[in-house]
Amino acid sequence: MLKTVRLVFSKTGRAKYVSHLDLVRTMTRAVRRAEIPLWYTEGFNRHPYLTFAAPLSLGFESVAETMDIRLEEDMDYADLVARLNAVLPEGLQVLSAAEAVAKAGVLSAATYRLTLDCPAETVQAALAAPELLVEKKTKKKTMKTIDILPHFASATVETGETGAVMTVSLPCSSAETVNPSLFLTALNAFTGHEWTMQVLRLGLFQADGTPFA
Amino acid sequence: MNKQLESLFLQVQKPSRYTGGELNSVTKNKDEVAVRFAFCFPDLYEVGMSHLGMKILYSQFNNEPDVWCERVFTPDSDMEALMRQHDIPLYGLESRDPIRAFDFIGFTLQYEMSYTAVLHMLDLAGVPLRAADRDEGFPLVVAGGPCACNPEPLADFIDLFFLGEGEEVDLEVINLYKEHKAKGYNKKAFLRACADIEGVYVPSLYDVSYNEDGTVAAITPLDGVRPTVKKRIIKDLNNCYYPDSFVVPYTDIVFDRAQSEIFRGCIRGCRFCQAGFIYRPVREKSVDTIDRQSHDLCRSTGYEEFSLSSLSTSDYTHLEELLDRLLDWAEPEHTNISLPSLRIDGFSEELANRLNVLRRAGLTFAPEAGTQRLRDAINKNLTEEEILETVSKAFKGGWTAVKLYFMTGLPTETLEDIEGIANLGQKVVNAFYANPDKPKGKGVTVSVSASCFVPKPFTPFQWEPQDTLEQLQEKQQHLVDSVHTKKISLSWHDAKTSLLEAVLARGDRRLCRVLEEAHKRGFNLDSWSEHFDFDSWMQVFADCNLDPAFYANRRRPYEEILPWDHLDYGVTKAFLIRENKLAHEATTTPNCRQACSGCGAACWKEGVCVENR
Ligand code: SF4
Ligand code: SF4
Repeated sequence: MLKTVRLVFSKTGRAKYVSHLDLVRTMTRAVRRAEIPLWYTEGFNRHPYLTFAAPLSLGFESVAETMDIRLEEDMDYADLVARLNAVLPEGLQVLSAAEAVAKAGVLSAATYRLTLDCPAETVQAALAAPELLVEKKTKKKTMKTIDILPHFASATVETGETGAVMTVSLPCSSAETVNPSLFLTALNAFTGHEWTMQVLRLGLFQADGTPFA
Repeated sequence: MNKQLESLFLQVQKPSRYTGGELNSVTKNKDEVAVRFAFCFPDLYEVGMSHLGMKILYSQFNNEPDVWCERVFTPDSDMEALMRQHDIPLYGLESRDPIRAFDFIGFTLQYEMSYTAVLHMLDLAGVPLRAADRDEGFPLVVAGGPCACNPEPLADFIDLFFLGEGEEVDLEVINLYKEHKAKGYNKKAFLRACADIEGVYVPSLYDVSYNEDGTVAAITPLDGVRPTVKKRIIKDLNNCYYPDSFVVPYTDIVFDRAQSEIFRGCIRGCRFCQAGFIYRPVREKSVDTIDRQSHDLCRSTGYEEFSLSSLSTSDYTHLEELLDRLLDWAEPEHTNISLPSLRIDGFSEELANRLNVLRRAGLTFAPEAGTQRLRDAINKNLTEEEILETVSKAFKGGWTAVKLYFMTGLPTETLEDIEGIANLGQKVVNAFYANPDKPKGKGVTVSVSASCFVPKPFTPFQWEPQDTLEQLQEKQQHLVDSVHTKKISLSWHDAKTSLLEAVLARGDRRLCRVLEEAHKRGFNLDSWSEHFDFDSWMQVFADCNLDPAFYANRRRPYEEILPWDHLDYGVTKAFLIRENKLAHEATTTPNCRQACSGCGAACWKEGVCVENR
């Protein structure tokens, strides 16, 4: 059985406008440029094995994206990281590589830092409301109204350079995913104001709280 | 501006078209460069980024330490609306600086329908449209590309045009500009000096007068400039700059792959084909050069596919040897070679098999005309037997789809020739069913696509009238009526677009007013059918008192002064007249490798003109 190598990479700056589909293409080409001995699927239309754990929304930044690849022959992981970083475009950087332990299915939560342009008090007021309702697309593509407050129960809010900075852990699994942008929608509805928000994904976690690795 | 821009990116479709920062894009320190060049492709990012010529010049300019070349494309409507709303002028993708502050704004003119986008981009950049309204405080606006062979409809807007191949002449102009900058730059003096460089055409230094009937009376050089301007060619392609890397876009573009140029020009001389004449003579790269350049490009881009780029690729003299060499590394590296339609009958079995494991480009043929008589008239050297033999072979190899390209409205064409298109399609269908081992349960699709003939400058058909809309539409209907099987799927180009193309392709300077007016009325990206509004265009012509039929549908006498007569592409008028007469006799002319027909391009003493036959 071929080893699966899990790469953790960041996606920041200009690269945050790269959609998930484009990212797959970009990464495929990067591993080719780095001349990494990738394993190709068999069959007529052979393509390299490359999978991503939890696609990031367009416009979000992250320091915790993962990409799994399979190698035809073993190689030194430090070398792998260095070779990839030498050929990646601005905004994409591999932070580490290790043999994958957990299956993607165990992924359970993601932590985010949300940077807003409103005062911390505004965010705190919203979090103190009895409920924070927002429309959310269900898996069946219909809309339903949910209260997102329970998901933000453990959020911490501080005052940063431009305003409120919130750190929060949200569900991120095949069963349920809460997109942090829902908070901005709810906040804007709650305050009647058009605030803006930058999103940075900080980490991916398993159900028992250990990092996804 | 940057912060404001960032806030727009998330409000538009495919933002990575506007962000820059793609792999291999070049960033320099603006304080350390002498010349900033905005390379503009007057179409959307997906189209412009697919264009090989732009990639070559982008890399070559940036190879100069003191030149910084950036890419600029036409923003799509959503982005443009936001840019206008927030007062963001057109910017270079690399620096995100407004191109208004650059030294040069350069356009590549690939097709006539992009002219409105040229004006639109100047306007978005905040630069006056007319060259005369731009003083030293504005960038120089330059243009090149195939349409520069008759640039007259844009003459009032562009400061100078590059004729022919750009690699050398562009840098000569940039270097001259640096000299002039150093000693105090005066635009008029600079343009006058440029006019002495071979391959540079400064339209303001030529005066055009007209006869009462609208034809050109005289083209008069001013200020002692040369009466004719000759195009430039690169003499030795093996020693000419070729990029070892391409910018690799994030978003999917039209041709998302590495491209290796294998030769320039075409030996065939199909009489309707402008490319076949304006790029003469044929000059090839060696197998070694192509092999090295292809491998370098694939390594630096990571592309999983590359294509061999040229006109009529199967005419490369060492094709089999080349493919052999390329496959030696492409196969183990999982890189596909994509080939334009080739005469596969010439290949050895082994090579055909190796190519088969790679992705196959579709099986396409361009007979262009439906009968042998008309194919002879247009000098399209492809016989029905050749087509049927090749498709039969391909059908035996398991293919089930063939595309056939034709033109309607060709000179001397009759309804019989139109029926010939349907007949040829039918014969291809029959060839499929005649194959005893055809795949079970599978049918065949023959796609027949018919475009409308557009007479172009520097071709033997430059004097020919284009069919009127009514004639073209009648022929299209006749084609529909002549097809009797569902196995043939028909498609055609809009005749209205072709009419406008015909007007602009052979237009004169009076069309500058038309373009300016079209621009004022908001026309942009006319190559996209959703943007093209024919009736409004006709209104513009009416309001400018110019008749499209004068340009498109009139047979021009050989003696008439053509708007591009002061431009010299090597191919002589005497040769083109000879070819025009032969067309009317349905007599073919041998290709350059069979015999030289003395077209005039031998003046450079290069390539096929000096090969041993
Ligand atoms: S083969 Fe004919 S149509 Fe094709 S590029 Fe050459 S001259 Fe033009
Ligand atoms: S001079 Fe002769 S060989 Fe050279 S391009 Fe013309 S026809 Fe071909």
